[in-house]
Amino acid sequence: MNWAQLVTTVVTVGSILGVVTLVLNMQYGHAGMINFGVVAYFAAGAYTYVLLTQSPPSSLDQYVVGLDLPVWVGFLGAALAGLVFALVTGWPTLRLRGEYLALTTFAFAEVFHSFILNEQRFANGTRGLVGLERPLRDQITFVDYNIFFAAAALLFLVIVYLIFERIVRSPYGRALEALRDEELALITVGKQSGRFRLEVFLFTAPFAAMAGAFYIWYTTLALPELFTAEVTFIVWIALILGGEGSNRGALIGIFLVVVFEELVRAIPFTTVRAAQIAAEVEVAALGLLLIVFLRWQPFSSLARMRRRTG
Amino acid sequence: MQSNQHAAWPVAGGLRHGANRGAIEPTGRIVRVTQLIVFGIGSGAFLLIATLGFALVRRVEGFLNIAHAELMSISAFITWYFNVKLGWHFLLAALVSIAVTALVALVIARLVYDPIKHLGPAILLISSVGVAFLLHGTTAAVVGVGIFGFEIPRLAAFSLGEVFVAPYRIVLLGLAAVCAVGLALFLNRTRTGKSIRAMSINRDLAASRGVDITAASRATWLVTGVLAGLGGVALGVLGTLTTDLAFGQILVILAVAIVAGLGSLYGVIVAAFIVGMAMDLSQLVLPGGYRPVIAFALVILVLLIRPQGLVGSRERAT
Amino acid sequence: MGFLDIDGVSKSFGGLRAVADCSFEVPHGSLMGFIGPNGAGKSTLFNLVSGLYQPETGSIRLEGDELVGRPPDEIARMGLGRTFQTPRSFSTLSCMENMLASVQSPGENLLSALLGNYRSHETATTEEAHRLLGVVGLGGRAEDAADELSGGELRMLEVARQLIRQPTILLLDEPTAGVSPRLQSRLADLLRGLHADGLTVLVVEHNLGFLLDLVQHVVVMVKGSVLTEGDPDAIRRDPRVINAYLGRGGGDAA
Repeated sequence: MNWAQLVTTVVTVGSILGVVTLVLNMQYGHAGMINFGVVAYFAAGAYTYVLLTQSPPSSLDQYVVGLDLPVWVGFLGAALAGLVFALVTGWPTLRLRGEYLALTTFAFAEVFHSFILNEQRFANGTRGLVGLERPLRDQITFVDYNIFFAAAALLFLVIVYLIFERIVRSPYGRALEALRDEELALITVGKQSGRFRLEVFLFTAPFAAMAGAFYIWYTTLALPELFTAEVTFIVWIALILGGEGSNRGALIGIFLVVVFEELVRAIPFTTVRAAQIAAEVEVAALGLLLIVFLRWQPFSSLARMRRRTG
Repeated sequence: MQSNQHAAWPVAGGLRHGANRGAIEPTGRIVRVTQLIVFGIGSGAFLLIATLGFALVRRVEGFLNIAHAELMSISAFITWYFNVKLGWHFLLAALVSIAVTALVALVIARLVYDPIKHLGPAILLISSVGVAFLLHGTTAAVVGVGIFGFEIPRLAAFSLGEVFVAPYRIVLLGLAAVCAVGLALFLNRTRTGKSIRAMSINRDLAASRGVDITAASRATWLVTGVLAGLGGVALGVLGTLTTDLAFGQILVILAVAIVAGLGSLYGVIVAAFIVGMAMDLSQLVLPGGYRPVIAFALVILVLLIRPQGLVGSRERAT
Repeated sequence: MGFLDIDGVSKSFGGLRAVADCSFEVPHGSLMGFIGPNGAGKSTLFNLVSGLYQPETGSIRLEGDELVGRPPDEIARMGLGRTFQTPRSFSTLSCMENMLASVQSPGENLLSALLGNYRSHETATTEEAHRLLGVVGLGGRAEDAADELSGGELRMLEVARQLIRQPTILLLDEPTAGVSPRLQSRLADLLRGLHADGLTVLVVEHNLGFLLDLVQHVVVMVKGSVLTEGDPDAIRRDPRVINAYLGRGGGDAA
């Protein structure tokens, strides 16, 4: 078992998904909005990045647009895509609550996924795009590129964490929790719940979208099967595990999940069937953990206690 | 005629099996439309069976059970096991499978859902995602990869004019009718059924009036399990099975339930056919892979314009 | 024209007329009570005034401004405060945080939240919050989470949360339900003090003993409209009022 590689992978994937988990934590853990479609921001960012930076199509490709713009333009474009997607899907859903909001956000994400899956002209549909460029690949010679990239992803996570924590600890964060606790009470003290909800969507989505760009840099692939509802559910499981409502808990949760996944992946299986069984057992285990943690919520109450005294 | 409708039934919602209906290409617009309507009726019949159990849980237990489709998957594979692996007659295998599925539904409810009922429908919804993961992982680990089919007589499609109709779909339509009527009779004529209805209106009030809530709840889960079991068997009859089928199903089931209006059972009867036909008729203008998108688009439309669906229930979405 | 004018207001749910052509005037600075049997429409009326429901007919004017058609948060910002039959506060927040969350803070602007320029406002508000929590008897509970409070304490918290907003008119929906007698008298003193300070207060109550000793003017509602109104003594003796309660069997004439 190559521990160095394992750690690097965990840090990289954990940081990227960690940003998405933090976004979900702001939306659900703090503002109480059940978003079952977070993967859509992630995917919107990833694919917009690809669209902007990919070189124009060759004869073998079916996609139509590749603007070959610099990496940083793609990155900012990804953030903008997240914002636009959040605006388009967030604004009409402002008056939806609970399961209705969950289903609508889910439906939006599935529509988007279906689009990237089926629309060949967008990004080659199911075939996807491979061999995508990694930023600064040639310039980084002083250290292993993977380590550099892991550090970059981690830095991104830390920045997002600091920004979100600052908001959570401010009156704004307090208003969000009030919104989550008792929306009616918030309204009767004269505050507009709709404005907070929309702002939370618009403010957090770009970060998830930027994480999508990071994901493209990491995998060098743009395959629709990487951007399914499974991502949404992994992030949800991580959130519940870590105790929803706390940014720190969210990160603990996602890193636990990623470590678990990577450990399973690192086991040297001798047969394909064994590997397949392991992957499925992993899925079952995650489901079981979700059930158990929702029932007994050990970390959640810890997180609440920490928040009150800290 | 190279049609092989048995294998071409795109039951899996198109996400991972973007099945193309193009195996049959009748000429003429009208024929094509009629054919798609016939398909749509078949889809609707299946969706009716699949969604009734889901809607029942929503109505009585108050939450959306995302794991419902996994129950169908379990039923399908248990049937396959008895039918193909052990060589039993299909009907016997189906019956046993349905019974097992009903029990599984009950056990899960007692172990997972009942203890956290007080946490509210949102938590139950998230929990059901966990159950879905658990069931999916277990089923897939046991079954493995591959495509599976039942050992049932292959009935060739017959034609009415230039439109082809598969016999199994007619059976399915009949089955759907039986389910709908059966459920209605059960809820309205039997004592358990009436208890269930009382409980779904107001749990505490029913309890104070002497209704045995635990028994009614148990009955609800068993009925749901039976319906899910039937749905799973139908899945296998209409097409081949893979372990990934369930996910695509639950999305469309959700769509039907929402169009019907969450909490409404009668609405499901109408909504199932609306969604089924919309999905199939969309083939006139969209490629096959977009079929499930129609379902989601309907969900979005309904939730934004008329969240209470066709038969608006008392609960408001806002 | 009164401080609050209710004019011909009606509201139905399904086939049921909850409020039927209701009209009355609330003078500025009055302490007014609303009584009536169950189902008389008192809470519905409060919901109509505060904007949670929209009336089918009629108008509701606060200081001359029409409230009908405005969303509830806007009406609250216009100076209206209200409490609910079942007390609603922010359950996972502490009492102090509850109070702070009830006032408009500059830190509730996203940019300011990031920049951090809300501290001085926070400090000032915290002082005022401490004072008010003391006034309602929750002085020592500032750091406790709202979901650790008893029913009566929750009610007082809800009142305090409205008071820190400095409303011009306060609607209290059954404030003494589940509240101990000691706390009730504290609440009565509080309301008399607020009244003396010029706050207009409307109270819906079933607890007639509490209400008739407190308010100066009583409006009696039956079946969605005003049966009669007058000072507490007159109402106590009015045979129609007694009939309405006995006939319906609702409310505690305690």
